[in-house]
Amino acid sequence: MCDTFHVTTTASPERTRLTHSLVLLLPAVLFGLLVSVQWRTQSDRNELTVRYNTPLLDAAKTLQNEQNTLKAQLADLRAELDQIQTSASTQSGSAKDLQARIDELKLVAGLNERTGDGVIITLDDARGASAAKDIEKSICHNTDLTDIVNQAWRGGAEAIAVNEERIVGSSSIYCVGSTIMVNGTLMSPPFSVVVIGPQNGLLATYDDPTQLRDIKQRRDVYGLGFRVSRASGLRVPSYGGALNVKYATPR
Amino acid sequence: MRSNAGVIAVTVVALFLGVLAVTQIQAQDVYSRSLQLETPASLTTLIANLSERNNAIKDEILDLRHRTDTAREAIASGTGSLTEAERQLSQLRVFAGMSAVSGPGISVRIEGTFDERALSDLVNELRNAGAEAIAVNTARVGPRSWFGATTDHALTVDSAAVRGPWQVRAVGSTDVMYVAMTRTGGIIGQFQLIYKSTRFDVSRESTLDLPALATPLR
Repeated sequence: MCDTFHVTTTASPERTRLTHSLVLLLPAVLFGLLVSVQWRTQSDRNELTVRYNTPLLDAAKTLQNEQNTLKAQLADLRAELDQIQTSASTQSGSAKDLQARIDELKLVAGLNERTGDGVIITLDDARGASAAKDIEKSICHNTDLTDIVNQAWRGGAEAIAVNEERIVGSSSIYCVGSTIMVNGTLMSPPFSVVVIGPQNGLLATYDDPTQLRDIKQRRDVYGLGFRVSRASGLRVPSYGGALNVKYATPR
Repeated sequence: MRSNAGVIAVTVVALFLGVLAVTQIQAQDVYSRSLQLETPASLTTLIANLSERNNAIKDEILDLRHRTDTAREAIASGTGSLTEAERQLSQLRVFAGMSAVSGPGISVRIEGTFDERALSDLVNELRNAGAEAIAVNTARVGPRSWFGATTDHALTVDSAAVRGPWQVRAVGSTDVMYVAMTRTGGIIGQFQLIYKSTRFDVSRESTLDLPALATPLR
């Protein structure tokens, strides 16, 4: 292969060989590079997937499955209680009034499904060569999601969901290692943030160059996936977690 | 012949290259986000978090079962279910930030440079630690609250200015929230590294009185 660099004569068969060799050189180098990167990735993975992780991994998956089942049970019970309350509200005027106030509060607190127009924000890890420049800046973090959600409320959002998890007063977007949890539900990119609200106000707040500067810069330089688009007929599910009111008492 | 052999060789190499490139992209994707690649420490934290969430849902399921039975009996006996409705209304008003509330919790005092993104992160961290109600100075944080800043270094909660030193108060489990804030590598530790000249004090509070949202949600 090295010989090819020394051949500079004008002989036609040699020039052909040189051309062939050069054509093969680049793929061969890339091939070698990829083999080595692949080997390193594999080797890192082997180190991390040690036997001690297996029971922990199983426990995490079991708990997530259990949470899905519990949320379904909770939704059924809430619906059952709603039905009892609604039928009871026909018995007296005060019960009817109370039920109307409960329904109104449920709507603003995120306990009912909402539909309407708004925007969808997609956030994803960078893919391809630009991601290799700086992994930290190329992947999405929980703080990116909290910034996006904060911006949505600023723009007048009425309801928000991140990958089908409704954002409510007790919601947290938490990060452990490289895993993101929203309302305690494990999720990974790409993230779809569905926002119902005034489309022009929401688009204006996301277009504002003084806002989300870090995300926009990482999109432009490192290829982070960040896109805001107008959308109609959106659906945001109701909150399925616990209300968690144990310590706070009304004054 | 020689030319054909070259073409075949290039094709084979390109094929391998393509397969490897795809494998590598997939491997990179899995590498960055797979649960399987979390460290035991991260997995343990995830498990603790999932477990806490599940226990909270289990508690609420038990509570709802009891309330459903009580409401059903009340209707059957002709007394109606006003008590249950009142209880539900009260709970929802706290959850939506529409009631002023009292309760135990923690207070985070911040004196010095601070910004709206950090405030948003702090509120997010408190919520993850189970905060049931939060206020920044006298501004209650609601389900749709957003944080901003003014040009004169004040922060805003729902466009109302709140000036430093800031007092972020949260009602909830005092111990859980205190540990979540002050643990090594926790959010206060990170703030102390970033905002070097800012003072952060976290204290346990036996009773906090937080106001309701200034503007009720619609």
